[in-house]
Amino acid sequence: MRILRLTQEGIRALLTHKLRAFFMMAGTLIGVAALTAIMTISMGTARKLKQQASKWPHDVIKVNAGGGKGYTMPQEAITTLLPADAEAIQDQIDNLVLVTSVAEKRGLSIKGNSRQTGTNVFSIQPNWHEVMNWYIDQGESVTDEDIATMARVCVLGATIREELFGEQDPIGEMVQIGNVHLRIKGILKPRGVGTSGRASDDRILVPLSTALRRLFNQEHLSYIRMTVRDPDKIEDTGEIRIERTAEEVRQLLHERHHITPPQEDDFSIVHSSIVIKDIRSISKTTTVLLIVLAGLSLIVGGIVLMNIMLVSVNERTKEIGLRRALGATRGDIFIQFLNESLAVTVVGIVIGGILGWIVSILLVKYRYLSIGNSWGLFALIVLFALLIGIFSGVQPARRAAKLQPVETLR
Amino acid sequence: MIELADIDKTYGVGDVTTQVLKGISFCVEKGEYVAIMGASGTGKTTLMNLVGLLDKPTAGQYRLEDNDVVTLDDEALSHLRNRKIGFVFQQFHLLDRANALRNVMLPLIYADRYPEDAEDRAKKALEAVGLADRMHYNPNKLSGGQQQRVAIARALINDPAIILADEPTGNLDSKSGIEILAIFKRLHKQGRIIIVITHDNNVAEHADRIIVLKDGQIAEDKPIMQPRDAETELKELNNKEGQS
Ligand SMILES: Nc1ncnc2c1ncn2[C@@H]1O[C@H](COP(=O)(O)OP(=O)(O)OP(=O)(O)O)[C@@H](O)[C@H]1O
Ligand SMILES: [Mg+2]
Repeated sequence: MRILRLTQEGIRALLTHKLRAFFMMAGTLIGVAALTAIMTISMGTARKLKQQASKWPHDVIKVNAGGGKGYTMPQEAITTLLPADAEAIQDQIDNLVLVTSVAEKRGLSIKGNSRQTGTNVFSIQPNWHEVMNWYIDQGESVTDEDIATMARVCVLGATIREELFGEQDPIGEMVQIGNVHLRIKGILKPRGVGTSGRASDDRILVPLSTALRRLFNQEHLSYIRMTVRDPDKIEDTGEIRIERTAEEVRQLLHERHHITPPQEDDFSIVHSSIVIKDIRSISKTTTVLLIVLAGLSLIVGGIVLMNIMLVSVNERTKEIGLRRALGATRGDIFIQFLNESLAVTVVGIVIGGILGWIVSILLVKYRYLSIGNSWGLFALIVLFALLIGIFSGVQPARRAAKLQPVETLR
Repeated sequence: MIELADIDKTYGVGDVTTQVLKGISFCVEKGEYVAIMGASGTGKTTLMNLVGLLDKPTAGQYRLEDNDVVTLDDEALSHLRNRKIGFVFQQFHLLDRANALRNVMLPLIYADRYPEDAEDRAKKALEAVGLADRMHYNPNKLSGGQQQRVAIARALINDPAIILADEPTGNLDSKSGIEILAIFKRLHKQGRIIIVITHDNNVAEHADRIIVLKDGQIAEDKPIMQPRDAETELKELNNKEGQS
């Protein structure tokens, strides 16, 4: 109970010097807020990436047009990835089950049933369905014959079908992209949200040859996607097969594109173990940097707290002497002053924690992030901030307790 | 009650030392009202700090009631100060940011047991010094005399056996001074030991014993046969004011 009274005295002193208390609190508040925000966002982002990685089929290798590290989207401006590359991969690389080429364009305008909307055009080969494990719901899909004749046909995704035709049967109807008219042959099964987080049903499939020649007027592909037989098998060389295969694809493309490292690749290869590695590196580099910064702000805050308390002790020597004369022991003075630092720290932690949450929620609203939480990590942040608060409070409190009443009362 | 024997006090360490008190011995019994006088720098405040347990003598014996003070540690001394001694200082030493009531309650925070009726006790103490209507004023809204009366109420809150006052009227006009002395007189009648340090004969003459210090020693220790009575003087003063 005595300790409660002493704490109350400390809090009274803080309340009568609100600005001083605020500055004492600032470092802890900012540090804890930053650490909390970093924690929630990096936990959330890691969780989200892990979910994506687990969705990534573990036997698939994807070659994107355009360089860049790991988990990237194909770059439209790169024109060097060609159907001939896909054929070469099919012919020369072992252990591949299926190889399919895709050219995609996003956000094209499409008309049909006297309505208009925007969609993503994927130009495909017939084996696309098998590679993607994504099949036709009604009607039929692109055939080898369609490819050979550059047929003006298409398959609609569930979203675009709904948007253009509602409840009507669209099979046999026409849609128009640019000035090319396409007959609807089939409807894709609905799939919901894909690995990239985008709506996958907002798409239209067109035969590859039709799209390249008639729609896009281009030679090049967006990506080549292939599946590997027994991807996890350990080869005689000790390598995992999918990694070995990816490496062979890389070398083949180096040859075909006349690239000699360290010259930069004009393509990028993604497969499940790369995606997982990528997640690790994202969570490591950025979070470590941020944690160091926030930790520094806590430590600087602690130093500020200590110095303000030291000044405060010097300003209040008379008060300390008086309290001693009235019966305060050295321990009482120590506890009162330590508790002033602690009260400030605790309030800083609470406000900082709440602020950190608010900041991360706001950040998540405006950017493509996700929040997660770990009470263990939060407890660690709180503990760290508390330790710094105690550490900063002890020195001034000791100085206050050491003051001699006779010296201070003159 | 208070028993000092051969007290020395030397300030400083090493080469630069000054011996301020040299072989001070005296006793103060329950119910005595003592004035300590002497020129500036003779060690009156030093002596009061020793009697008030704020400092320890360099040599000598000090008994306070049953306690051999010299052997006690900081904690024991603090508790003893809290229970036995009420201080009144020349500069009042109130907390600026707390009102009169909170200032008076301050010693209770450090008491062994916090009384449940703390606030009532503080109110009574303030009533006893005539400040019932100023309880919620901060010191900066009180006159010097009123501030000193708050300080006295604070000194009384733990019902101490001893009141130690160092120049309690030094910063006050004569009317306020008389008011303070009247309160001391009343406390004395309640059986407390009152020790007042002063330069002023007009203050010292209210005590029933005067100790004069000179160069750190007791030059004189004499009873006053006919001490002045501050309570009647205050009444007369008030009457005179009422007439004019
Ligand atoms: N902490 C200290 N360190 C060194 N010297 C001190 C200390 N305190 C007091 N002194 C010296 O001791 C002597 C006595 O001081 P003290 O304050 O007791 O005098 P006093 O009789 O109360 O004087 P006054 O009437 O002016 O208040 C002085 O010479 C003073 O300089
Ligand atoms: Mg003095």
